[in-house]
Amino acid sequence: VSAAYLVVAATTVVAATLASGYFRRFQPMRPPIGVMNLRDVVIMLGAIVALPYVYLTLPLWVVAVLFSGAILGALYFVWEPVLESRARIWTACLLLLGADLVLALTRGTTDGGFLLVNNLLLVTVVVGVTNLWAQSGMKARDVAVLAVGLAVFDVIATSRLTVMTDLVTRLSGMPLLPVVTWRASGGARGLAIGLGDLLLASLFPLVLRKSFGRRAGSVALVVSVCVIATMLAVIDLRLVRTPIPAMVVLGPLMALQYGYWRARRGSERTTLEYLRAEPLPSGTSSEVAPV
Amino acid sequence: MLETAVASLRFGASMTLGVRFNLRSLERLVGAMLETTREFGGIGSEGAELLAGPGLDDDTRREMQLRRFRSQALRAMRTTSYYGNLFAQAGLDPAELSHEGIATIPLTPKEALRGDPDAFVNRTVRPSLRATTTGTTGWPTSVQFSRYEMRALVALASIAVILRRQVEADDLVQIGISSRAILGVTGVMGACANIGAAVYLAGLLDPEHTLALLTERRSIPGKRERVSVMSTYPSYLGEIVETGLRLGYGPKDFGLRRLLVGGELLTQGLRARCQRLFGPVELVSNYGMTELAPFGGNVCSQEHLHFDPSGGLVEVLDLETRRPAGHGQAGSIVATPFFPYRETTLLLRYDTEDVIRTVAGPLTCEMRNLPATSNILGKRRLSVRHDGGWTFLRDVVEALEGVEAVPLPARFGLWATSDGVGVEVLARSDAPEVGDAIHSRLEQEGVPVRELRVVTDRAALRQPIPLRGDLRDGSLAHAGGRGGSNGSSPPRPHAAVLASGGAS
Repeated sequence: VSAAYLVVAATTVVAATLASGYFRRFQPMRPPIGVMNLRDVVIMLGAIVALPYVYLTLPLWVVAVLFSGAILGALYFVWEPVLESRARIWTACLLLLGADLVLALTRGTTDGGFLLVNNLLLVTVVVGVTNLWAQSGMKARDVAVLAVGLAVFDVIATSRLTVMTDLVTRLSGMPLLPVVTWRASGGARGLAIGLGDLLLASLFPLVLRKSFGRRAGSVALVVSVCVIATMLAVIDLRLVRTPIPAMVVLGPLMALQYGYWRARRGSERTTLEYLRAEPLPSGTSSEVAPV
Repeated sequence: MLETAVASLRFGASMTLGVRFNLRSLERLVGAMLETTREFGGIGSEGAELLAGPGLDDDTRREMQLRRFRSQALRAMRTTSYYGNLFAQAGLDPAELSHEGIATIPLTPKEALRGDPDAFVNRTVRPSLRATTTGTTGWPTSVQFSRYEMRALVALASIAVILRRQVEADDLVQIGISSRAILGVTGVMGACANIGAAVYLAGLLDPEHTLALLTERRSIPGKRERVSVMSTYPSYLGEIVETGLRLGYGPKDFGLRRLLVGGELLTQGLRARCQRLFGPVELVSNYGMTELAPFGGNVCSQEHLHFDPSGGLVEVLDLETRRPAGHGQAGSIVATPFFPYRETTLLLRYDTEDVIRTVAGPLTCEMRNLPATSNILGKRRLSVRHDGGWTFLRDVVEALEGVEAVPLPARFGLWATSDGVGVEVLARSDAPEVGDAIHSRLEQEGVPVRELRVVTDRAALRQPIPLRGDLRDGSLAHAGGRGGSNGSSPPRPHAAVLASGGAS
């Protein structure tokens, strides 16, 4: 296998593992009222379908500004419970974001230094966003619905339409590249996995852990990582020469896992029930009201 | 969550800008609060702050309230005959009012509303409910409400109840207030329905019957075994406590965990005796009246009465000069409920006759962001002016209900003497030591007792203070002594004891 494979696969493992570790150690500030629910998933799916067209239409600098805002928010969420001091949080956020922007503008988006920083940035975003969603009470059922919806969208957008290919091509010269990628120096081929795929792969283990327990979460983590690693290997070994829509494989597997655990364990646990059954390690602040 | 964010923004806009509540958003917010409670076990302090809005400094609050007052005064002038005439006669333009100018608008006395309630109804709104007061202090006053107001009232009551975790989904709730108190009943019932708690309107029955209901064991899936929350008046609660202790009930007989009381004065003596009957039960009191609903006050842990400035304007007027009361002085509450809380029966500077004392800041309680007064001291018309100043019902009732020899609720009369007050009170005994204990306790509370008359027969009281607990709802089960309309008896877990207590 290539170095690109090793870097992208390792980044996937790191992102999913860090998200799970963060889930048991830190609590990002969730919205004080409201729970992530099926309506949010439907709205999210609508946005996922519409946004590629928006990004293809808007000037690149506007897209960069929008990405910057969203990423800055995600970075703040992830660092807030870790660093606590506002000065330290903003320093960490701006350093990472600034490094990505400066490297992209000075060395280009194919430079190894830029890709390293960009991958690091995306891993941080994945940890923050997945934890924000999972710790906002998102249900495994809703993630399964989202995954299946994305699988359908992926088939259409990647296989039937050119929208995703056009989008990746357009954004490839932009900082804050929304794909984890690596390209060996001098090598013509690179490997990449989209931010959305990485988000879902890292999110599902968290909600399964919350809803059905440690074993369900661990199995989901292994399945997600192995599936992505296998798909990357298939491409890296040139067994397939076209992009593979990752959610087409991940989506149905997530739905199957949800169905299995639902049948086996019954209804999903709420966050309150999860934290009662598996209290966070001492020293971790818990926002769950005492009973 | 996205819908909730939109609903929160709309709620915030209504609170801060005074625009009409979007009822769907308001109800969505209630749903989101329930989802949050179910998922996380409660709403955190950030959620409470989000709903309460930011704490306002005095200048900002005055500015916001002036705008809202002007707007409500304009609405009242244009749409009600009472205020149309009043502004025309006074030659006042509500749009030009300054904060100081508000005081130039004549007070609206209870008698005016009682005498011609329709003159206060906004002619551009379609009323759908006529609510009346219980009439404890005179002929009932009626207030009209629109469908919008009723839906908003239920949603706002739900928000308050969920936020303070006063009722939860597994609760069995018994409403022990007059069934004619339609607003209170609707608010509690609506909130319970939203929360998923099982609620029962018992009304004001004989205390023995109420005790039987409170001790009755149920087996409703997902609910507690016995009544866990009761909403009632302090005087009726006093009667239940008195009867319960007399009949030998104790904490093991009940499943109550919270009592929601309002409409009268809740005393420390009642609190203490309540614990003896029910065990460690939480007593929550608030301030509300039909004329102002849903605008009202909440009592904090330091016994302040807090008002949300977005809901209405509260002025505290000196009892004699009728000018704003100074720090620490007693005065009566003059209130103006604002839109969007109130749109049908419009009241400006309504004289509630409820006496409080102003409090000087800074406050240190959990509701310190909201303006506050002391807790209610009593009705002005039932307070007594004497050479030494004023004696209020709270001074007297706190003292009396703190004396074991005085049965609950304290039944007493109060009148002025040349240099103090005369008190008559119903006690278990008229022995000299009982009189001494009562006298001493009254003096401890600062009541200048010059005459004390202790009686053991309620009928011997010459001018007893009226109590809401004496209102009664009919009960078929007790009417003929032969069971209910279907021939069955009410549940009697303590049948032998009840038989000896009898039904009054």
